[in-house]
Amino acid sequence: MSALAKTAYFWRSAAGGLRHSPFVHFIAVSTIAIALFAAGLARGASRVVDNLLSSLGGEVEVTVYLAPELGEDEVHGVHERVQQLHVGDVTVVPPEAALVRLRRELGDLGEALAELPENPLPATLEVRVPAERRSPEALRTLAKELRAQPGVTAVDYGEAAVERLSAIARALRFGALVAFLVVLGTTIIIVAATLQLAIYSRREEIEIQKLVGATDRFVKAPFLLEGLLQGLLGAGLALLGLWTFGRVLGPTLGSLFAFLLGPGVSTAWVEPRTALELVAAGCGLGLGGSFVAVGRFLRV
Amino acid sequence: MIQFFHVYKAYPGDPPVLQDINLNVEKGEFVFLTGPSGAGKTTLLKLIFCGEKATKGQILVGGRNIARIRESAVPYLRRNIGVVFQDFKLLPHRSVADNVGFTLDVLGVPRAEGREKVRRMLKLVGLEHKADALPLRLSGGEQQRVVIARALVNDPTILLADEPTGNLDPALTVEIMDLLTQVNIRGTTVVVATHDATLLARYQKRTVRLERGQIVSDEDGVKAARRMAV
Ligand SMILES: Nc1ncnc2c1ncn2[C@@H]1O[C@H](COP(=O)(O)OP(=O)(O)O)[C@@H](O)[C@H]1O
Ligand SMILES: [Mg+2]
Repeated sequence: MSALAKTAYFWRSAAGGLRHSPFVHFIAVSTIAIALFAAGLARGASRVVDNLLSSLGGEVEVTVYLAPELGEDEVHGVHERVQQLHVGDVTVVPPEAALVRLRRELGDLGEALAELPENPLPATLEVRVPAERRSPEALRTLAKELRAQPGVTAVDYGEAAVERLSAIARALRFGALVAFLVVLGTTIIIVAATLQLAIYSRREEIEIQKLVGATDRFVKAPFLLEGLLQGLLGAGLALLGLWTFGRVLGPTLGSLFAFLLGPGVSTAWVEPRTALELVAAGCGLGLGGSFVAVGRFLRV
Repeated sequence: MIQFFHVYKAYPGDPPVLQDINLNVEKGEFVFLTGPSGAGKTTLLKLIFCGEKATKGQILVGGRNIARIRESAVPYLRRNIGVVFQDFKLLPHRSVADNVGFTLDVLGVPRAEGREKVRRMLKLVGLEHKADALPLRLSGGEQQRVVIARALVNDPTILLADEPTGNLDPALTVEIMDLLTQVNIRGTTVVVATHDATLLARYQKRTVRLERGQIVSDEDGVKAARRMAV
């Protein structure tokens, strides 16, 4: 009963604080909202990049060049050994087929190839790598394993492109982390500053509370709650912003990226999971700021 | 109920405000603490409710040594002590009823129950009709009575009143003193700090006189009455 009465008191007190100095709280709430909105956008953007990576990865096919002097039986031998590595679908492209393909790809120029006295192309194996093995590290290991096979002269998997894309993704992630930490710090400082003002404007009340027997926790609770409310409001605003952003710009962006993403790829900006994360982050920011303020400015 | 043993108090950088105070107030007693302005009356009261810490000596309140009390135990001590502050300490933007109920909020008394207690308390001090007024709209005497109501609303075992009649005209002074006497008769230990000699003359209770931080006399009610009669 008493706990309930206290809880009710804390809510009244915290809500009273928000009402008492709306401008200060507006600033804190907007700061949290902007930070979370940016985080949500970054989240969406990184999802786009991830989708991009995996859709490019869909074309990852490793070409294994075999020594030109291998006869047909030996090519089959290598084929079988590579298949036993269980690295995905392996198909043999005999030299003749390779030549035909090359001629087709070269078009008019290809006619010149007909003049060649003999086929200069070696037999190749084409390995279609399953999705879970497409990370740059996995591909590098695979290439090494394939190169070690007898009869293999070279392995090619679009190394440069894969490496560059994953480097970009890494850089993006790192940048996002740094930005996140900076925003986290600033937001907490701003929330703490607004609560410092709130504590200052209620110092008389705090003094009397203590004189009539309030515990430290009782004095502190409304301010922590106030921070929490700020965080929740900020998260709510950010979600509203993201949702509006998705509604207004989503279709445009969707069609812009459609060719890259392929069909069936989600372009939603506010997924339930993201929403939960943002709300949790908002609570964290608000509570973090109020903890700092209460710890530093509420000498009880 | 309240015991002082060789208590000293000095504010940092100043000479001592209280020196070698020895005092024993029994449960249910009514005591006047008197002396000229600046004698240390307010400071002595503050020591009792841990508003200040003694520099030296031991203070027992309800059997507890508050010189050694943990910071976290102070709130629980204060819940048993009602204080009428000399400077009122009312919240200007809260109604009279809210100010009186403040003590109960802190203790987590449910609202409905609290409102009823506040109403009864305001009736006792004759301010029922001002429950929704803001303190600044009240006269000094009315504010004084709000403060008394706030101090008493939680039925404290000890009531400390610092110049509770300082702002009142004679008629109201009688009313307030009657109120404090009633509270005392119901069993609350009451300590009233006052520099008002007429109050001492009229009520003839045990009187502890402070001068320049030292107790210069401590007369019981009978003695005080005899001296007044002379
Ligand atoms: N917070 C304080 N800091 C420094 N000196 C104080 C403080 N409070 C009171 N004093 C000094 O202590 C002395 C006693 O004050 P006080 O206890 O208020 O006396 P009284 O209530 O009898 O008028 C005075 O000289 C006053 O200036
Ligand atoms: Mg005084």
